[in-house]
Amino acid sequence: MQYWINHKGVQSGPVDLEGLKDMGLTSSAYVWHEGLTDWVKITQLPELQGYYEMEPVVVGTPVEPVVPAPAAEQPIETVAQTARQPEAYEPEQPATGYGMPAQPQYEAPVQAAVTEPCPPTNLVWAILTTLLCCLPAGIVAIIYATRVTSKYNAGDLEGAKRASETGAWWCIASIILGIICQPFMSLITMMAGSV
Amino acid sequence: MGRRVVLIVLVTVLLLVVGGIYYACDPSSSSLLPRCTFLSLTGYKCPGCGSQRALHALLHGDLVGALGYNAMLVMAVPWVGYCLYAETKRASNPRLYVRLHNHIFITLFLAVVLLWWVLRNIFNW
Repeated sequence: MQYWINHKGVQSGPVDLEGLKDMGLTSSAYVWHEGLTDWVKITQLPELQGYYEMEPVVVGTPVEPVVPAPAAEQPIETVAQTARQPEAYEPEQPATGYGMPAQPQYEAPVQAAVTEPCPPTNLVWAILTTLLCCLPAGIVAIIYATRVTSKYNAGDLEGAKRASETGAWWCIASIILGIICQPFMSLITMMAGSV
Repeated sequence: MGRRVVLIVLVTVLLLVVGGIYYACDPSSSSLLPRCTFLSLTGYKCPGCGSQRALHALLHGDLVGALGYNAMLVMAVPWVGYCLYAETKRASNPRLYVRLHNHIFITLFLAVVLLWWVLRNIFNW
């Protein structure tokens, strides 16, 4: 696998895993390889663990690397890059009143929305079921396909995933209903014709 | 790689079988091939009505006839093929996939399907 690196504002690559070792990378480096839709922090690629030094977390906005053009297939699939910072640590609030439990603080999966590619829109299935299954259920699947992309574009990855799943179920339902209903219907029409 | 080959073989066999059936049987006369459920139930055409006859005509090289049965299906065929191609190349060429699965594109397609549905019932296409 060939990697492109953006480290401290300097872009380099392609290099293979061996080459990565000698580059003296730190955890602030960004990496891209074929198949990724956008640059990701090196810390997000599990296969690269051990190929970089940890860097103390700098408070403040990290400089987003300028997206270079490594090849013809330059990734463009990016969510609106709302550089979401991990919430600054809030000291635990003193228990007020009658021993109200302090609100649990969950670590949100920061960055996940930025790097993950768009979930499947099932558009092809939606089209095929609409045109071949003779039931308008495929149209619902197309509606869900539009919701996948609109939610993804808005940065709502979870919502996009849900819409993607629901759309897939509509496709499946449409196919099954089509297969079940059709012979049944032709039987009815045949009987109606013979009466 | 093995799974991929199996998948390709399965899809090819399925396409050949389905294609063979639709080549051999004329849906407008055969009682083997079903009539549209939606049409039978409501009396209105659905967006997919006529697609079996259109497929039959397409397989016999009759493009004009196919367009007459279901123009939407005929026009969707190249596009679906392109989408499937983009799907298989998503890892190495994410750009093409993103371009096809563009939000505006899909919304437009939805509008076209709905319009097609309404218009074909008004004008009896």
